[in-house]
Amino acid sequence: MSLKLDTRVVDGVTVVSGQGRIVFGEESTALRGTLKDLLTSTRQIVLNLSGVSYIDSGGLGMLVGAYSSARSAGADIKLAGLGQRLRDVLQITKLVTVFEVYDSEAQAIAAYRRTV
Amino acid sequence: MSFPSLTNSSSQSGSGLFPTLIFVQGNEQRTLNLDRSPFTVGRKVDKDLVIADPRVSRDHAAIVSEIGQFSVVDQGSKHGTFVNGERVERKVLERNDRLEFGIRDTSYVIFHPYHPSSNTARDFLSQISGIHISTETTDLEKLTLFLEAARKLNTSGVLDEILVTVLDVTLTLTRAERAFIFLKSEDGTLRLAAGRNAKGEPLLDDKTISHSILEDALKSNSEFMITDTSQSLDLSGRQSIVAFDLRTVICIPLRKPQVQATRGAQAAPSDEAMGVLYLDSRFASRDITSVSNDILRAIATEAASLVENARLVQAEEEARRYQQELSIAASIQQGLMAVTIPEVPFARMDGKNLSCKEIGGDFFDAVSTDHGLAVVLADVSGKGVSAALLASTLQGMIYSQLSAGMGLTDIVSAVNRFFTHKHIGEKYATLVIARLGRDGELEYVNCGHVPPLLVCNNEVIRPSHGNLPVGLLADASYSSDRAVLHPGDKLLLVTDGVTEAENAVGDFFDNERLEQVAAKGGALTDVFTAIADFCGGTPLSDDCTVVEMVYTGGSRTD
Repeated sequence: MSLKLDTRVVDGVTVVSGQGRIVFGEESTALRGTLKDLLTSTRQIVLNLSGVSYIDSGGLGMLVGAYSSARSAGADIKLAGLGQRLRDVLQITKLVTVFEVYDSEAQAIAAYRRTV
Repeated sequence: MSFPSLTNSSSQSGSGLFPTLIFVQGNEQRTLNLDRSPFTVGRKVDKDLVIADPRVSRDHAAIVSEIGQFSVVDQGSKHGTFVNGERVERKVLERNDRLEFGIRDTSYVIFHPYHPSSNTARDFLSQISGIHISTETTDLEKLTLFLEAARKLNTSGVLDEILVTVLDVTLTLTRAERAFIFLKSEDGTLRLAAGRNAKGEPLLDDKTISHSILEDALKSNSEFMITDTSQSLDLSGRQSIVAFDLRTVICIPLRKPQVQATRGAQAAPSDEAMGVLYLDSRFASRDITSVSNDILRAIATEAASLVENARLVQAEEEARRYQQELSIAASIQQGLMAVTIPEVPFARMDGKNLSCKEIGGDFFDAVSTDHGLAVVLADVSGKGVSAALLASTLQGMIYSQLSAGMGLTDIVSAVNRFFTHKHIGEKYATLVIARLGRDGELEYVNCGHVPPLLVCNNEVIRPSHGNLPVGLLADASYSSDRAVLHPGDKLLLVTDGVTEAENAVGDFFDNERLEQVAAKGGALTDVFTAIADFCGGTPLSDDCTVVEMVYTGGSRTD
């Protein structure tokens, strides 16, 4: 699998960091599973994508799916550390208007702190 | 004990569970299983074989099974029933007999033909019989040899074929009168899969078998169960044994081979049993209780592994068929993608698709409407059949709504509502719909797709307009953008397979290269040439589709 996932908690916010590619198949299945599990116990998630070089259409669909189910459960997933390619993808698909996107993980965590 | 069936090629008996009928009509032929008696033939629709021809009577004939034989019986038909050219009232059928019902030229039935081309168990064995089994060989050795040979037989590999072979061998070795194989169906109940008597005739009826004994055998942990009714005291609830005067019943559970491998260690769990091999003989006939335990044990092991192998072969066959279905789906998909480009006086259009190996979710379509020439280019997320299915649905919806003259934003909103409402998981589509009017007015709506290229006087414009893809979020709203084209101006649409075409070092073709080709005013083929040059030998990982629409101005230039 070309995606490594790492989960830790910073200031009460759950941070999931990815390394690799988020593509249709076991990669997006793994990320979906991780997020789904986390959503049973936490409402504040930051997805740190600084180590993610590529996301394909299937990965993007999974991400929106996870985001939608988080929102309907009263939780949120904020994105942080996107590289240029991922920014372009979110721009083209206008999903930048859907997700909250932050330059860094610290900024995304701080955003949760402000809303409390 | 002799082993006749080894050298005696399939001359005596049926090779499958049921005899077959090959019904030939003109150039077509159909195989029917003679799985009921009477098997009726006629022009009436409720017949088992309906032949729609005025020369065939409504109730023409029937094929009936009597003590292991099949006979054809004419039901007073007007034009007669013929067997091998001879008019008959009633006749016992032999294999390969040619039956004609009223019609003497274009249509006939062959009763249970041999399959000279198919590699049946027996044919195969007759081929290898050149090995010459020495007469000193013990029965058990013969059995092993036989089953080894049969196990390698996975060309015809039909389960029925194997089952019948197993039954015949078992009958020969045990000298039982009847043998049946029951296989566990998905719901866990035992179903008759094959039955044979010592004469090699098919037995289709399991009413005379004690099902409680079968169930006991299935649940039991032993390798086989012998019930000697002359010894057994408790036969309550086993009326069939009493009613049919059965002397000995042997039940051998068929367990998956890996379980058998641990034989001797601990008893196999009953849920591993695939079925039961059942043997019996009547009081009036010989006693089979003395059959050697070694033989029964060997049969239990070998029969189970044979059945398992046969099942695997069957599963492979199904997988092959599924693969075939997929290639049919792919060709349907290709058919849908074959767009007839409408001819209009004010514009010309061209589109090309370069498919990667898998069935993809790209499509483009063109519709000439009252409001102008419309073009759609879409890319459904993911690949494979699910993407292709969604692409076809999407194509149909958009085509009909464009034809009906609906507004572009209304169309994408409707499509988005449809797909989000249907909850089809994480599948969505990015697409561009553009409509060019006679006067050069272009309206287009981009839903998460690679931005179109507007090429005006060798200058490339990439409008920033865009919306969310369709099918992702139910409450998405959509807007369109407009531009005015002058004669010679061009709209170029591509899928992300183009911009994300990779070369050997993993670089993308990307927008810059695309814009360079477009600025040179190149035709579609130039775009594909540029992609091919860039990628070198690296195969495409996604479909590449490029569509161009050039405004020519036609009759109404300003």
